Amino acid sequence: MSSEQAGPKRLKAATDWRELHQRIEAARLAVDGASVPDAGILRQRARVLAREPARAESADAPEWVEFLLAQEKYALESRHVREVHVLEDLTPLPCTPDFVLGIVNLRGEILSVIDLKKFFGLPEKGLTDLNKIIVLESANMRFGVLADAILGVRRIPSAEIQPSLPTLTGIREKYLKGVSRERTVLLDAGKLLADEAIIVQEQV
Amino acid sequence: MKWFLDLSLRNKLFVCFALIFAAMAWVIATAYVGIINIRDSQDRLYAEDFANVQDLDGLRALQNRVRAEVLEAQLSKSRPQQERLLQDVAAGDKNIDLTMARLTERARSDPARLSRLEELKAVQSAFLQTKDGEIIPLIRAGKIAKAEQLAVGVQQPRSEKMRAIGLELSQAAEQDARRAVADADLSAGRSVRIFLQVGVAAMVLGLALALLLVRVIAGPLRILSAAADRVAAGDLSAEVARDRRGDEVGDLVRAFATMVDSQRRIMREILEGVGVLAASSSEILATTTQVAAGATETASAVSETTATVEEVKQAAGVSSQKARYVSDSAQKVAQVSQAGRKSVEGAIQGMQRIQEQMEAIAESIVRLSEQNQAIGEIIASVNDLAEQSNLLAVNAAIEAAKAGEQGKGFAVVAQEVKSLAEQSKQATGQVRTILGEIQKATGAAVLATEQGSKAVDAGMKQGTEAGESIRQLADSIVEAAQAATQIAASSQQQMVGMDQVALAMDSIRQASLQNVSGTKQAEVAAHSLHELGKTLKQLAGRYKV
Repeated sequence: MSSEQAGPKRLKAATDWRELHQRIEAARLAVDGASVPDAGILRQRARVLAREPARAESADAPEWVEFLLAQEKYALESRHVREVHVLEDLTPLPCTPDFVLGIVNLRGEILSVIDLKKFFGLPEKGLTDLNKIIVLESANMRFGVLADAILGVRRIPSAEIQPSLPTLTGIREKYLKGVSRERTVLLDAGKLLADEAIIVQEQV
Repeated sequence: MKWFLDLSLRNKLFVCFALIFAAMAWVIATAYVGIINIRDSQDRLYAEDFANVQDLDGLRALQNRVRAEVLEAQLSKSRPQQERLLQDVAAGDKNIDLTMARLTERARSDPARLSRLEELKAVQSAFLQTKDGEIIPLIRAGKIAKAEQLAVGVQQPRSEKMRAIGLELSQAAEQDARRAVADADLSAGRSVRIFLQVGVAAMVLGLALALLLVRVIAGPLRILSAAADRVAAGDLSAEVARDRRGDEVGDLVRAFATMVDSQRRIMREILEGVGVLAASSSEILATTTQVAAGATETASAVSETTATVEEVKQAAGVSSQKARYVSDSAQKVAQVSQAGRKSVEGAIQGMQRIQEQMEAIAESIVRLSEQNQAIGEIIASVNDLAEQSNLLAVNAAIEAAKAGEQGKGFAVVAQEVKSLAEQSKQATGQVRTILGEIQKATGAAVLATEQGSKAVDAGMKQGTEAGESIRQLADSIVEAAQAATQIAASSQQQMVGMDQVALAMDSIRQASLQNVSGTKQAEVAAHSLHELGKTLKQLAGRYKV
């Protein structure tokens, strides 16, 4: 052990320590000082951060709930969507088809959860988060659809809907409304809700 | 004779003396008998013949006295005197009676004498009768003349007769006495002769027995003493015939023979021994001479050794000094190494403190990390909140869309909420980034701390190793110091030992000098021993075996 090396090191460290202490002290003060922000500052901030409200689009621009599923962007019409929710406590059901993942308890009501990929027969593409449910509701059908992430609600003009790309031949055409400019697959929620195939016979 | 020879000496002597005693007894008996005979004859002579004579003479005397007294009584005028005289006469009569009785008693065997005595007695009785019956009363009556008359008349012839008979008897008795004396002489002579014969026979017997004894006892003893003289003179070849006699002489002879035998044997052995002694003494002499020479050589070698020992002592002293010096130096080194170890220990302690501080740092970093984690969790929950807010916003937008016109304000609110959610997401993203950086920094700090700790560990290990090697050094130094001390002590002992060796060598030298003189004396002694051996041989040669 060389005490000669320790000497200069120590000297260097000594000066560093003092500076360090000062910096830490300053930071602490900053943190302490900034812990309870003032209401005025908040309002100011809010004003800065506030955005202009989205302009109303033309009439034929329904709102679509965009979501991510297996790195593919999909969208469902918001008029069929009751709400979106986080997936929790999924209970798998036996003797059900593959696309029925199970049921969840959503604020007291039992909801079946569908995996669209399986329903459409899409191949599994990598890992998915699958932690969001889009609750689709119609007059006589209600189920949840799995999604990896909710991208948001957006108005998509119907004029911008393009027909499906050749690459998306996997999905049954009857559920496909089209593809948006951003290559979001627009699904027909109504068709889904009305589809007989969704209904699972109680008897196996 | 065998039985006699086999008797013990005591018994032999007893027998011989018994025989001699018997002979003596026989002689004595014979003598005694002779003497008794003589005495008897003497007695007889005295008792009878001489007594007869005496009695007869006495009788005559008495008669005379009686007669005289009677006459005197007759003549006496005084009555008391007469009475006295008459009483005397009466006494005399009594005596006469007694005498007569005695004579008669004695003459029983002699009829002739007896008849004469009877005759006398008759006369006496007549006389007495007259005397007593007539004279004395007459006297008493005072009729002296009558008495006188009677006395002269009748009594006279009686008394004459009595006297004559008495005389005759006395002569006869004298003759008898003489005859008896002659007989006695004869018998005495005979007795003497017998006595002499017996005496001579006894003497001869005694002589014979003495000769026998001499022959039986003294003879062998003389032979034995002659043999002993020869043995004393040195002739051990003297043979003594073993007697088979069973008495002490036989025992003595046998014992003597055995003694001579053993003496001979011993003498032979002594002769052998003396021979060996003579030989050995000459050998001893030779050896002693050699030893004397060797002792002289030893003495000179010892002197040389003493000098060498002195030198060794010097060398030992020098080495002792050096060892002490080494010991002292080792002690100093030991102290220095102790100090070194202490400082190493101090360094290690310092390192340990550093280690502790490192650990404290690591701990606080870990706490920091944990808090980071907490922040992360909070951020996650904030994110979650943002997500939910987002969802809420989406839901709100959906509701707003459902609500149509009335929902526009709500749509705005929903949008705001969504943008807020976005911003909080962004903020959380930033925070997460910062957290990530903090985590990285924390990780780096932990790493640095770890490395620092490792470095401290390494330093401690090195310090420990250094301490260990210093300790080992110290130990070996201590061992060296101990060894040096032991060397010093042992060289001290060596010196002491050398001193003792020098002393011992000196005493050895003196002893060897004494040895030299002693061996010279021994040589002289061996020489005289040799001479002695020769003398002994000469002496032993005198004994014939």
